[in-house]
Amino acid sequence: MSYKIPMGPYHPALEEPYKLDMICEGETVCDANLHIGFNFRGIEHLAETRNYIQVIALMERVCGICSNIHTLTLCQAMEQLTGLEPPPRALYIRVVMAELERLHSHVLWAGIAAKLMGFKTMFMTCFELREKVMDVLQAISGNRVNYSMNRIGGVNRDMDDPLAILSMVEQLEREMVRTVIPIFTTSTTARSRCAGIGVLTHDKATSCGVVGPTARASGLPQDLRRAAPYAAYSEMEFDVPVEQAGDVRARLMVRALEIMESCRILRQALTKMPPGEFNVGDGKVVFSTGTAVSRVEAPRGEVMYSVSWKENSKNPDRVHVRTPTFANMPAIRWMVIGARLADTPLIQASIDPCYSCTDR
Amino acid sequence: MTVLEAIPEKLGIADPWVEKGGVHWLPPGALSVRELAAIMNGCHARFVTITAYQLPGEEGLCLEYHWDLDGQLLGFPFKLSGNSIESIYDLCEAVDWIEREIHEGFAVEFTGRVYVPLLLRQGDKPGVNLREEGK
Repeated sequence: MSYKIPMGPYHPALEEPYKLDMICEGETVCDANLHIGFNFRGIEHLAETRNYIQVIALMERVCGICSNIHTLTLCQAMEQLTGLEPPPRALYIRVVMAELERLHSHVLWAGIAAKLMGFKTMFMTCFELREKVMDVLQAISGNRVNYSMNRIGGVNRDMDDPLAILSMVEQLEREMVRTVIPIFTTSTTARSRCAGIGVLTHDKATSCGVVGPTARASGLPQDLRRAAPYAAYSEMEFDVPVEQAGDVRARLMVRALEIMESCRILRQALTKMPPGEFNVGDGKVVFSTGTAVSRVEAPRGEVMYSVSWKENSKNPDRVHVRTPTFANMPAIRWMVIGARLADTPLIQASIDPCYSCTDR
Repeated sequence: MTVLEAIPEKLGIADPWVEKGGVHWLPPGALSVRELAAIMNGCHARFVTITAYQLPGEEGLCLEYHWDLDGQLLGFPFKLSGNSIESIYDLCEAVDWIEREIHEGFAVEFTGRVYVPLLLRQGDKPGVNLREEGK
């Protein structure tokens, strides 16, 4: 006899509200249905009522964790429509912010994953590390969540002493190598809870069109920083970690290795940062009629903004946001089929879902 | 000839790609969206999203289908006649949620598929969120 187990929309395992209805036979999940929309705020519609300054502040609030990525993608699209090209220093600062945000997001996710594994001490360790990344972000931007760094034609704040940040990055890297990565990759607890769990096969990952670490953990080597470089990524040397197993452990491994790659990118960006202006223009911008599309590799995967503007219009005509979790979440259904019910909180968390992004 | 260069020929379109606003655009002409999806599958392109927007005056709606081919973003604009277009869900699983979202936001009918509500709650009506009549 099958029975339905609802998880959510409000559940201790979920950081934000969404609902997973699972059809179970005993302890095994036979099928699942996902329900979203509990965070729907109509942001795309609101964007059509905001001017080019207000719309940046609005879109920064699509997501609380990768807020910088949203403004970066939006500003890149708006730069295409205005013809304003950010100076080289601004492009480097954008890389620094994007990689710090990736570090912060991945360490946060590691903490949540540890909590869901029942590994509470690891949760505390990860959150302590995350705090250090947030301190760096605050030192650069003055803010801990919505950084307000991006603007059309560059960034709002310069980095006075990039090399001072370097020591913080090195300290963070040391702690990641000494504690977090070895424990996640070698401990029996982590292995027993993650290996062979929530498998998304290469074929299913391809047909679902998943992105980011979720795709890379299923053997898809896609990363926009490499395939379609933006900001100053074409000048950075880094590897794109790819795993083949497609299980929770593979997703964990990809993120752990990406933390190391982010530190590597940060070292290069901070040491090679060119001098000069950090934005262009006098604050007044003129839009040409048209549509511009920009894509960025966010911590969770590809973010795409499509922005349409009419000349002499104060507000955008249309802003469409395709967030990574919107692409990744449908795949949860395939990950939980055949899984034990007790593993489903960790499986759904393994894509690092952001429901605020998804619902907008 | 690269895969990208070969696509217009495969689609039977004489016009070349036009690169604008970060996208390689190709007007699909008489090609149906289902034929396009089949060819994109054949090229191993990754479906990215559909962007819907309302055209000025009484021109109706336009849907821009986006695929990624080795980091290049491809765009195919489809101007809707009436308020419907064929669904490609059976050809491209990744399109499921965005077709449902556009149906709810703009009241577009994707024919040949069954809808399950995505963002709508009980009592909500499709089209009241993003569609503005007579815009």
